[in-house]
Amino acid sequence: MASKGGAAPSTYTPTPTKKTRRSPFFSDSDVDWLRPDGRGFHQCRPAFFRTGAVNSAAGSAYAEFGNTKVIVSVFGPRESKKAMVYSDVGRLNCNVSYTTFANPARGLGSDNKEFSSMLHKALEGAIMLETFPKTTVDVFALVLESGGSDLPVVISCASLALADAGIMMYDLVAGVSVSCLGRNLIIDPILEEESFQDGSLMITCMPSRYEVTQLTITGEWSTAKLNEAMQLCLDACSKLDKIMRACLEEAASASQD
Amino acid sequence: MVGLSLGEKHFIQGGIEQNLRSDGRKRDTYRPISVETGVIPQANGSARIRIGATEVIASVKAELGRPNALQPDKGKVSIFVDCSPVAEPMFEGRGGEELSTELSVALQCCLLGGKSGAGAGIDLSSLIVAEGKICWDLYIDGLVISSDGNLLDALGAAIKAALSNTGIPRVQVAPGASGDEQPEVDISDEEFMQFDTSGVPVIVTLTKVGRHYIVDATSEEESQMSSAVSVSINRKGHICGLSKRGSAGLDPSVISDMISVARHISEQLINKLDSEISAAEADEDEM
Repeated sequence: MASKGGAAPSTYTPTPTKKTRRSPFFSDSDVDWLRPDGRGFHQCRPAFFRTGAVNSAAGSAYAEFGNTKVIVSVFGPRESKKAMVYSDVGRLNCNVSYTTFANPARGLGSDNKEFSSMLHKALEGAIMLETFPKTTVDVFALVLESGGSDLPVVISCASLALADAGIMMYDLVAGVSVSCLGRNLIIDPILEEESFQDGSLMITCMPSRYEVTQLTITGEWSTAKLNEAMQLCLDACSKLDKIMRACLEEAASASQD
Repeated sequence: MVGLSLGEKHFIQGGIEQNLRSDGRKRDTYRPISVETGVIPQANGSARIRIGATEVIASVKAELGRPNALQPDKGKVSIFVDCSPVAEPMFEGRGGEELSTELSVALQCCLLGGKSGAGAGIDLSSLIVAEGKICWDLYIDGLVISSDGNLLDALGAAIKAALSNTGIPRVQVAPGASGDEQPEVDISDEEFMQFDTSGVPVIVTLTKVGRHYIVDATSEEESQMSSAVSVSINRKGHICGLSKRGSAGLDPSVISDMISVARHISEQLINKLDSEISAAEADEDEM
């Protein structure tokens, strides 16, 4: 599906925040350590986005980051379920599911029960809920292939799908995660790297407003490392945002022709 | 949910603005914490924590199981939280499910460390009995009995107290079992191993109301929050986990500031909890 895209998917790298302190990444036993897909530690996978993946939805998007492939469709705003009480702001309903063939072992999805609520929390702050009172917007995400960093990809893709559906938002939401392996920080980890990680950090942010909508950290982090990882992520988010915007512009100009 | 009139909302917000909250506390003061350990005889370890009107119980049960094939040298720990309808009528049926999942996930993220087990509050390799064959599975259950805000901090503290109360029976592995055979074990009912809980982090939740953030919010104050950040911090001052609630976005510099405030508060909280836990254990021994 990526090959059909007009623009070749381009890889993007956040600028290293401190160029002088690059030495820790290439010292001691880490000298000959390579990422399985040959990327640099601070290099993201090529990102590919395309809107309008599902015809019947109000808006939809497809995203492909390396082997991670997700599809998100947005329905509504439509009438809230009868059982729900009156609300003068709109509701957001999110659901993330995995296909049975998303993982190497069939039907054995990772523990992703919390993904739906994480997606909800990441998007909620970016959507102008007051523009559609009494109604609900449904965001359904499907992970076609799980290749690592699934949640950030789902979140970025979902914000694009919302934009495609014409839901009013303050800004797009871009999500990026880093893994901490030993003393190294590696951005946009693949499944294999995630399973060996000592800690992880995921930021979703609104790059133009420079606001973090969701942040989760696991594992043990010192302050210096935490700040470095946050800067790295924020920088990657703003670069990812440019790619997402380019995708929207491309779709808009294509529809005008 | 809390229903508040406009006047009450202004009162709470104004109080936080002026560093004098409705119950007389400052923005960075906790409500009185009381700890009771060994409350559930059936469990290997348990504790009850009360922070103001919030009351939670944590229990630790240990069962023998098989270690994960990918990590043969580590035991397993799982955390579940149950929100009982005893606390709030809205928790009845599936009503509490969403909150339970949210709390369980946040606790797992704060206490269990990364996938490789690094940074975990509990040393997973101490749970192994026979490598690749037998390990202890720890089931940590949290129960919300009464809810008046700040559930996550209370549950984190209760789990810390319950773990330091936990005694795991010493196990003798019979020699002679070879290959894939499951060795025979002899579980002692007299000798118990204690956990080293000095590495278990505490959770500090900072709730942002207006421009300020407060610790240990009551449910009334929580209803006025724009966002909340829960940071788990261990004795070394390292961050062991973080999760954010609430819809409003935060500036990255605000988050860094909140983390440093939380680190400062955690020092006091760890000391306070440790003295409360040892006092509770001393009480239990006397009885």
